[in-house]
Amino acid sequence: MKNRLKVLRAERNWTQAQLADALDVSRQTVNAIETGKFDPSLPLAFRAARLFALHIEEIFHDEDRSSLATES
Amino acid sequence: MNQLKPPEISYKSRTCKNTIRLACWGGAWVAATALMGFGPKFLWNKTLVFTLLAVGVNVAVGVGMILANKRYIAELDELQQRVYLNALAITVGVAVVASVPFSVMDRYHVIPFHADISDLVMLMSLTYVVSVAYGNWRYR
Repeated sequence: MKNRLKVLRAERNWTQAQLADALDVSRQTVNAIETGKFDPSLPLAFRAARLFALHIEEIFHDEDRSSLATES
Repeated sequence: MNQLKPPEISYKSRTCKNTIRLACWGGAWVAATALMGFGPKFLWNKTLVFTLLAVGVNVAVGVGMILANKRYIAELDELQQRVYLNALAITVGVAVVASVPFSVMDRYHVIPFHADISDLVMLMSLTYVVSVAYGNWRYR
C-alpha cells in the first residue's frame, strides 16, 4: 500500500515526532508507514485521515488498484 | 498546527511508565527467585514452611510480572505489537524445538552436563532479546 503521509506532513511542516504524538504512536511507526515498510490498521488510517481532514483513500492507495486503473 | 492535538498522556510517556513498571516487576521476580533458590540453604536451613512461603511469594510476584508484561504489550502501538508478537512466536518455537533434543541428549549422555530448566530460560531470554532487536532494526 502506498501513501502520501510524508508529503502531507511536509506540507504542514510537521516533524515525524509531532505527527507520531498526534496519532498516538511511536516515531518509528510513522517512519515505517512513510517508507512503506508497515501498513497501518484501519483505526490508525482513520485517525490519520481525521487529522489531515481528508478521506482515507486520499492518503492511502492500494497499489494493485492503482496499477489496474492505469492499465484500463 | 490547529489539528495536532496530542492525547493527554503521550505515547512516549505511557510507554516509559509501563517500561519502568515492567522493570520493577522483573527485578522483584529475580529477587524472589534468588530468595527461593538460595534461601533454603543460606537463610533458613531448609525449613519447609519458609521454603513453601518463598515459593508462594515467587509465584505471586511472577503473576504480577506476567500481568505487567501483558499490559506493556497491550499499550504499545501496532508496529511495536507486531515486533513483540513476532519475537514471542520465534521464542516459543525455539523453546519447543530446542528443548526436546536437549532433553534427549541429556538422557543418552551426549552432552557432558545435566540439562537444566535454567538453560532453557536463558535460551528463551536470548532469543527474545535478539528477535525484538531484529524486529526494531527491520522497521527502523
